[in-house]
Amino acid sequence: MAEGPLSGIRVLDLTDERAIYGAKLLADLGADVVRPEPPEGDPLRGRGPHWEKAEPGATSLWHAFFASNRRFYTLTDGKEQEELQRLAENADILLTCRSTSVTELLAGIEAANPNLLIINTSSFGPEGPWADFQAPDLVAGALAGAVATTGDVDTPPLKCFGELNFMVSGVYVAIAAIAGWLEREESGQGQVAEISVHECIASCLEQVLMFYWYSDVLMRPEGKVLARRGSTHWTDAFTVMNGKNGSIMITPAPDFDRQLAWLIEEGVHGDLIDPKYQEPEHLRERVELTMKILTEWVSGKDVEALFYEAQERHAPYGWVQPIERLAENAQLQARNWFVETDVGGASLPLPGAPYHFSDTPWTMGDYKSPGADTDAILADIGWGGVDE
Amino acid sequence: MSSRPLEGLKILDFTHVLAGPFGTRVLGDLGADVVKVNSASRGGVNAPESPYYIMWNRNKRALSLDMSNEAGQQIALDLAVKADVVIDNFSVGVLDRWGLGYERVQETNPGVIYVQMSGMGDNGPWSDFVTYAPTIHAVCGLTHLTGVPGREDIGVGYSYNDHQSGLHGTVAVLAALVARRRTGRGQRVDMSQFEVGANFCGPALLDYLANGVAARSCANKLPYDQAAPHNVYRCAPAETESVADERWLAIACMTDEHWRNLRVAMGDPDWAQDTSLKNVEGRIANEALIDQNIAGWLADKDDYEMMDLLQKAGVPAGVVQNGADLQERDPQFELSDYLIELDDPLPVIGPTFADRLPIRFSRTPCNEYTRVRTLGEDNEAVLRDWLGSSDDEIQQATERGALN
Repeated sequence: MAEGPLSGIRVLDLTDERAIYGAKLLADLGADVVRPEPPEGDPLRGRGPHWEKAEPGATSLWHAFFASNRRFYTLTDGKEQEELQRLAENADILLTCRSTSVTELLAGIEAANPNLLIINTSSFGPEGPWADFQAPDLVAGALAGAVATTGDVDTPPLKCFGELNFMVSGVYVAIAAIAGWLEREESGQGQVAEISVHECIASCLEQVLMFYWYSDVLMRPEGKVLARRGSTHWTDAFTVMNGKNGSIMITPAPDFDRQLAWLIEEGVHGDLIDPKYQEPEHLRERVELTMKILTEWVSGKDVEALFYEAQERHAPYGWVQPIERLAENAQLQARNWFVETDVGGASLPLPGAPYHFSDTPWTMGDYKSPGADTDAILADIGWGGVDE
Repeated sequence: MSSRPLEGLKILDFTHVLAGPFGTRVLGDLGADVVKVNSASRGGVNAPESPYYIMWNRNKRALSLDMSNEAGQQIALDLAVKADVVIDNFSVGVLDRWGLGYERVQETNPGVIYVQMSGMGDNGPWSDFVTYAPTIHAVCGLTHLTGVPGREDIGVGYSYNDHQSGLHGTVAVLAALVARRRTGRGQRVDMSQFEVGANFCGPALLDYLANGVAARSCANKLPYDQAAPHNVYRCAPAETESVADERWLAIACMTDEHWRNLRVAMGDPDWAQDTSLKNVEGRIANEALIDQNIAGWLADKDDYEMMDLLQKAGVPAGVVQNGADLQERDPQFELSDYLIELDDPLPVIGPTFADRLPIRFSRTPCNEYTRVRTLGEDNEAVLRDWLGSSDDEIQQATERGALN
């Protein structure tokens, strides 16, 4: 069986919600990622949703997703620091989220394993007036600018569904880990990489900083801040419209003439055939009128049929799908994206990774019970048992 | 002397719009020599003077090739043979039509890592579909799930999936480099931006597949975990009625302790002393009442002052900052010098700016930021550095219309 691209890299995963997605990416790509747990269990096993049918007891589906492909090690009560140190001595990469226990661990590990690459994630960086602020996903997204730009004029600012903010910092963790590992292979030396969740989120806000920095070039009436406005993209040329049986994301981009030709076919082009709309100075008026005509046109359409017809015409419309349709999506199934996996003693299709490597494919291993790998991990690090 | 982690790595970058360029931006920040291939015929957000282009294409060298020209295609192939990484986010088949398909390139460059970040991946019934981030948000469930109950037309307010596709593309490149060290061979990576997006709904997908429960949008509440209050609240109004000037504060009581701390911070008003609110079940049952009272408490108060007060009291709270706040009022960004003006102004445009790479390596810092380059600004340097081209060869390429 082919090995994943990161096969052979040993990672110690001491992450919380802010970085666990990074550990998942490394594990799914074949790294040997060990996740220690306190004797009472990983606190993240309490995150919902849960699978009540799984044995023994309820299984956290959140944990099964984010802690995929891990080896689980249960720490011995009273010997946690000693065992963590031993595990870190045998790791190539240590993923942490800043906490007192990790700080103590790091103090002991530097001399024992100077080649260790440490990726340390914190909410706001190691110092500064907000360094000790508590920032769960809603607060992190608020302070970094994500919440202000999501929502509509008649709703409050909104957080995105799920864990989107921490999945951004998680990917940066994976990037830091792999890039740092490549450099370590050249230099033979470890180092520490600090990652601020706050900066990670702010780096992925598309138009937000652009509007502030380049308002003079953009010359938009909104100025430096574009307020939340539902699904309407900053270009005004993408928005979700309501059809007769659902919603669909509609855009005349990238080929406005092709969209016009379609509207002419349908006999709903209105004034869009006025030659002035071909002039660059009338582009914004053309966008506005096109979207107005499209809104009315879409309102009488079956959204599923419209979506497929649009894609047939190479128009990037997007059918707004609920989760149940995604779960049954033919494209995902054709690419074997779901992988039937043992989760808590029962079989369940787990989401796979979004990249397909021609020579070193990822695999999805079983999701094991707490402590399932403790003995094997002890054997790997040459430590027969905690009492030796 | 320290060097950045990817110094010496050659990346031939055919990406456009946001997803691909954001991924190669990170690779450039990490020290790779990223050669961005562009052409004079590409306008709009792909034109180097566009603010959108400026945002995602720093730390790259600019090569302008006419890919409709045979000589231009040959130069592209010569560069691909020298590259460690070839990357694009076109729809499936575009690079093949230019004679730059994976099979052709790897014949003479078996170590090449060839990453294609298409919308849907290269096989399956939707593989020819055309996508932008709003398309992906719609089909992957994010639009349906992000909003308020009863509406499915709100969604994420920015192209989240484009950024994430870029970052996942970076992960793919780096992972393939690790594999190449072990195997001595390159490989092709077929990445689907749709699968990137679907991944973000992972726990919700599992909830549906395991329990038959279909998640729905829940505004600022948590879909699966119990926490209350957990919302955003209006603070003292700004000078105008504009939505952009509204001031909001997010409060997230994740534990009973957070709630007790909030009571103290509010002066323990009568309504908060109701014993049914001591545990989270009771607070969720009375969430509307709690939200109404907190909103009343904050309505005439300054958002930043209240954030400081609440955080000092042990309550997770944060101002809903907008773009101007990030630049003008954020002390963390000021301290870390996160948002910077680049030294070298861009001709015609003037000063350009950058948000620094949010990874701070202790020994190999990535603190070099070069402004976006104008069309073809690095043509000669790239051809000399990568292909060893002479003055005469560059002149011939120009005369044959390969460079534009």
